[in-house]
Amino acid sequence: MNRPSAALQWIVYLVLVAGAVIMLIPFFWMISTSLMKAGNELTLPPKLIPDPVMWSNYKTVWLEVNFVRYTMNSVFVTVLELIGMVASCAIVAYGLAFFQFRGRNLIFLAMLGTMMLPSQITMIPTYFIWKSFGALDTFYPLILRSFLGGAFGIFLLHQFFKTLPRELFDAAYVDGANPWKIFYMIYMPLSKPALSALAVFTFISAWNNTLEPLIYLQDKKMYTLPLGLLFLKNEVENRMTLIMAGAVITVLPVLIVFLFAQKHFVQGIASTGMKG
Amino acid sequence: MRKQGYWGFIFTFPFLLQLVVFFIFPFLFSLYLTFTKWDLFNPPQWVGLKNWIQFLSRETFWLSLRNILYFSILFVPLQTAFALILAYLLNRQIAGKSLFRMVYFLPVITPWVAGGMIWLWIYHNDYGILNWLLERLRLSPVDWVRSGHWWIVIGSIAVVNIWKGAGYSMVLILAGMQNISNEMVEAARMDGASGWTLFAKITLPIVSPMVYMVMILSTISAFHAFDVFLVMLGDITAVADRNLVPNILIYRDAFMNFKMGGASAMAWGLFFIILATTLMQKKLEKRWVHYE
Repeated sequence: MNRPSAALQWIVYLVLVAGAVIMLIPFFWMISTSLMKAGNELTLPPKLIPDPVMWSNYKTVWLEVNFVRYTMNSVFVTVLELIGMVASCAIVAYGLAFFQFRGRNLIFLAMLGTMMLPSQITMIPTYFIWKSFGALDTFYPLILRSFLGGAFGIFLLHQFFKTLPRELFDAAYVDGANPWKIFYMIYMPLSKPALSALAVFTFISAWNNTLEPLIYLQDKKMYTLPLGLLFLKNEVENRMTLIMAGAVITVLPVLIVFLFAQKHFVQGIASTGMKG
Repeated sequence: MRKQGYWGFIFTFPFLLQLVVFFIFPFLFSLYLTFTKWDLFNPPQWVGLKNWIQFLSRETFWLSLRNILYFSILFVPLQTAFALILAYLLNRQIAGKSLFRMVYFLPVITPWVAGGMIWLWIYHNDYGILNWLLERLRLSPVDWVRSGHWWIVIGSIAVVNIWKGAGYSMVLILAGMQNISNEMVEAARMDGASGWTLFAKITLPIVSPMVYMVMILSTISAFHAFDVFLVMLGDITAVADRNLVPNILIYRDAFMNFKMGGASAMAWGLFFIILATTLMQKKLEKRWVHYE
């Protein structure tokens, strides 16, 4: 490729940096406000750097507003959803990729259908189901469904399985291994990249889930972080320093996971064109 | 492909259960509910087409529809354009490529509630940095999400949605740009194409299928948007009618007013509108999307 002129290269960088700054300002402002002394956020012109730095804002939100509890709830729900989703999607995708059976194409069609159907339509009957089981104000409505797989994850893993050599299956099968054994002895170890991509997707969508906790959890002790943050302003009389500290606590775990796993994540999107 | 059909059935069984319990049953039950009056506690009462007539003649519904259309018309083209520019600039030999990509992607993974809270603070009438910036530029402050004009409120929220979603569209378009071969670019350069011509005649036609898909996905996501409005509109029970969007209206009717029948009818109405919009985009597709 020809080297573009130096001037052009500068303009490219200028636009890219400007875009990055716009993306990052809200994060900077969140962290900065979260460390301000109460009252210092309400000055004009705004102080961009907190002085003094009040780490105690975090302590207040963590202990007094009980974000420690919300964090534990979020971790619990997210980890279980993650395990359920990855395991069930792997099993179902394996079934679809390696076996021919009646109704197989119908399942693919139904998978597409579930992605098209807006949650607003299924929301009320689903609520009714959990209410009938007496599962309101428990974590069951958030967790159990993920053990039955999801269209996005099944699709992602199915696409991946199709790239793996089929001869492995045939050879092992002829040697007398049963399909379960072939699944976890041969194909699971080979699928680590795709499984981790799905794990990251599931982690992020489970951690960020707001609608379902909002519908199913009334008791404050059961709140997950997004829900706790949504109602935090009522607890702290709209204190922006504390709300922003709560926001940092909510964002941080997902940010860390993303930084470590961004390669999987971005590749996963690029290969399927969807997110969870 | 193996012949042992029952194995395939065993492995896919979890998802079959998911389909029956959480999609087919809710789908049918919800359709039934649109013809009933139901408060979740007493048995549903058949009311015929009453719910449908009621929401179609309700001014709030049309206001909410106007808002979500306006929201989509702002959000979809702007986000796509923004994502296309960033992807085009990133798709060349530059230093720090993956760092830029990561930064643009940060808002995508940020929980909506947190992102929304930050923007509410940025939009704050008296102490927000945005109004302070306007004042520095000798412009009069704007009330943003607290404004009395619906188009400012919805527009401000659309901006936040672009911030949140542009990185995602960018990654998709960037993936589409991988299909552009160096030979093709070289050949075009030999013929004297450069800069804008290169972009318009080579890059754009080749990524057009991906851009099209990105636009379809963002349109659907705009109509499905719930979290962003939940956070940005403030107290759901007190949102002014002029600022409502359909999903908030449905949520409010269902889980705050316990009008399950009416809410279901509205959800179906919205679903048909999304379907019609997608089909319309499909029609327009042939005009500009280029397939090999």
